Amino acid sequence: MKESAREEILARLRQAPKMEIPARPVMPTPREVLLDRDGLTARFTEELTRESGVVYRAADREEILDYLTEIARAESLTRIMMSTDDMIRSLDLPAWGERQGVSVSTAADYPDRESYTRAVFDETDAGVTGADFAVAETGTLVIAHGGNQPRLVSLAPVLHVAVVGIDRLVPTYEDALSVFYGDAGLIPPAHLTLVTGPSMTADIRATAFKGMHGPRRVIVILAG
Amino acid sequence: MGTVSLFIPCTVDFMMPRVGIATVRLLRKLGIEPCYHEQQTCCGQPALNAGYLDQARKAAKHFIDTFGDDDVIVSPSGSCVAMVKYHYPELLGGEPVWCRRAEDLSARVFELSQYIVDILGIDDVGASFNGTVTYHESCQILRRLGVSRQPKALIEKVQGTTFVPMEQADMCCGFGGEFSVRYNFISEEMVREKAGYYLKSGADLLIVSEPGCLLNIAGYLSRNNPEKTALHLAEFLAGPETDENT
Amino acid sequence: MKIDTGNFVRNAKLEMQNQYARTFLSLLPPYIAARRVKVMGSFPDPAAAQELSRAIRAEAVARMPDLLEEFEKNAVAAGARVLWARNAAEANEMVLSIARERNVTMVTKGKSMISEETGLNDALAREGIEPFETDLGEFIAQQLGRPPFHIVGPAINVPVEEVCDLFMKKAGMQEETTDPVELGYAARLFLRDKFRRARLGITGVNMAVADTGAIINVENEGNIRFNKSSPRTQVSVMSPEKVVPTTTDALHLLRVLCRNCTGQSISAYVSIDRGPREPAEIDGPEELFIIIVDNGRSRLYHDPKLREALRCIRCGACLNLCPVYAKIGGYPYGWAYSGPMGQVLNPALLGLEETSDLFNACTLCGTCREVCPAGIDHPAIFLHYRALEVKRKRRSSGRWETILFGVWGTAAAHSAVWRFLYRLARPVLAVFGNNGKIEAMPGPFAGWFGARDLPVPARRTFRDQWRESLSKQGGAS
Repeated sequence: MKESAREEILARLRQAPKMEIPARPVMPTPREVLLDRDGLTARFTEELTRESGVVYRAADREEILDYLTEIARAESLTRIMMSTDDMIRSLDLPAWGERQGVSVSTAADYPDRESYTRAVFDETDAGVTGADFAVAETGTLVIAHGGNQPRLVSLAPVLHVAVVGIDRLVPTYEDALSVFYGDAGLIPPAHLTLVTGPSMTADIRATAFKGMHGPRRVIVILAG
Repeated sequence: MGTVSLFIPCTVDFMMPRVGIATVRLLRKLGIEPCYHEQQTCCGQPALNAGYLDQARKAAKHFIDTFGDDDVIVSPSGSCVAMVKYHYPELLGGEPVWCRRAEDLSARVFELSQYIVDILGIDDVGASFNGTVTYHESCQILRRLGVSRQPKALIEKVQGTTFVPMEQADMCCGFGGEFSVRYNFISEEMVREKAGYYLKSGADLLIVSEPGCLLNIAGYLSRNNPEKTALHLAEFLAGPETDENT
Repeated sequence: MKIDTGNFVRNAKLEMQNQYARTFLSLLPPYIAARRVKVMGSFPDPAAAQELSRAIRAEAVARMPDLLEEFEKNAVAAGARVLWARNAAEANEMVLSIARERNVTMVTKGKSMISEETGLNDALAREGIEPFETDLGEFIAQQLGRPPFHIVGPAINVPVEEVCDLFMKKAGMQEETTDPVELGYAARLFLRDKFRRARLGITGVNMAVADTGAIINVENEGNIRFNKSSPRTQVSVMSPEKVVPTTTDALHLLRVLCRNCTGQSISAYVSIDRGPREPAEIDGPEELFIIIVDNGRSRLYHDPKLREALRCIRCGACLNLCPVYAKIGGYPYGWAYSGPMGQVLNPALLGLEETSDLFNACTLCGTCREVCPAGIDHPAIFLHYRALEVKRKRRSSGRWETILFGVWGTAAAHSAVWRFLYRLARPVLAVFGNNGKIEAMPGPFAGWFGARDLPVPARRTFRDQWRESLSKQGGAS
């Protein structure tokens, strides 16, 4: 029956008169493409800040950890879950956590999906993750999820801290997404998210506020 | 220059002949002697809008027969011009000969302010009025014909006149033909709001280029704010008539 | 979803009495519309950007059958299961059997207009499966049992006091509050528990990309991301017209959608799924079902005018600028879609009989057409509906109109008849005149006179005056 529904729908669509495909207008080059690294950084920061995100610029690993220390103090973080992508792994957060008195876990620390889910929903103050790209156009993080980049770590905790290499700062969405969905040969991820600032809503009396379901705060550390 | 033919909408012919007379006077003032085909009836817009396509087609063919040879057709109604310009070719799409005539006619039909400013190249018609004036952007004139600059340019050049902006000037006044009667409870709220913006603008006078909108807004003002006036652009530019006789 | 399009007039009058909704309508749509204009300005050439999105939508709809097959092939290759449903009942049954097979008793849902169309929530509830809408506005509308007031803010008109009562009763809120933020956090807490426990998550689809087999969702709250991350099974329901050719096309539409929808340059979250989770992932759905629900589309695809309705990307820009919507709000449209979008879609999907008011209650002002990023000519579609309605002789205002227009058509083609009829009608109308104006009149035009006068029809028409004197005054120049 399902098969026949498919055939029926497609057949009926195909029997309909053909219509012309209109020509496409030429679009001017996006302004972001012309920006140099400083320009991109400024644009990214400006855009994300407008959405109440916070952007830090860190020169090296030490500075990244300093920022994390500062954030941990300011937000009274005691439990962090981190992704295990190259950027985050290179920071050796468990060692940092020991020094700071912050417990740092990864998804792999949990015996099964249930205990991981419980932990990330209820027992985590912040998710610290890498991101594949930062897009200047709108202050957007591009995160390709996978074994080292669990979906809920950047979503369920009330604070999301992302660390992104400055070399991953690109002008437009296309620059980032063509890497995954273009002809470059990479296998597209099962789940990819574009994240621009914290979760938000304005559904009650048109009153906007952050942190509806996902993080209330988003901090991005641009590294390098 | 060839024939300039007057296309007087039925609302003007029957309900507001003074607007038609003003149109004639204005054109004469600008050195144009218009002709008027007495056999003209209606462009067919009410029938099209109500879904009576066959009847609209009859009106359209009569219009094409009546006006088909004119070099320039000018009307003090943007919605009627839009009807001829954009709806006739589609309406008659199934009849190639008529369709071609409709397309041919399309480029020769002009809304009054469009004709004066764009074709004649005049923005100062030599009128005068002491006071402040605002303008309602009628939907078909603004969004179908893309005419907005022209009427305002004409108003601004009137001696003694200060143009003041009106909030939501481009918002529909709630006429919509049959809509205004069938959904009067919505239409009344829309015209109430429009009149409110006119009052708020502080202008002495509201200028409208579309007879339908004028019937609606002036009708509302007559009932609720009789001290306030709305005029057709042609009346405003032609100035007071000496021997009005309706 | 209950269909109440036939009570448009009653519901519109009712809504117009609602002062709270009126105040709201006078503020928010103009605000969003202004934000839209501002953020469209961030395109180097806003007009070209709109033209491109219109071209993409036109192409996507023109190539729909091919694109659907391409999408299906690529989605299946990525491990998704693609199901096709002819109508609402089939679609709902598919979701139900997926739920039953997995012994699911509760599902979480992201906002999906197609599932509003199919009445999925009611179908689930009837089977003892509790559905929770998780978009805040949709959650409130669901719990109140109301249709969406606005496509972007489904319950944005509901007073905070009412939300408070509702959340005390149905969302486990402990303390009364009328602070929208506190109310929002109460819903967050309540729904978070559902996300954690849900084993089946249902979402809609904003775009389905043919050349990758990916589905894209656009949101601000994060509820859709939760629905795609926490449950073990994901069901994404889409109508066929969601398909677009390429990722590049999707990205342009994304930019245009967000700008037109909420006046944002991008929403907080965009999520792109290609198949279920990868084996190495600890969260995300183990299985992904994509249900393509026709529900009348392939039928209306045969009518070139109606086909245009399928270009709609559900941004809601037309609602925010519609002067009629601004007076009556979303409820009178009586079904899943409201405003000009609903006036186009509801009749197309439900038929013309019960939706007559939707395509007639319009002044044809054309604001919707002007703003539409999908290139829909709403007024032309309304005229098309009106013509179809006349053809079927089901004109709701009665037979007098058919007769009137019959006579009118003859008269319009014969100026002598035209003039003659005017001579007949004028004295009848003039009876009601007083001081040059008519203030009231019985009969078909009675509605005009509630708040307006009308000039008395001229004794001497323009034509009369032209013949008598006006034509003779010429020639001076």
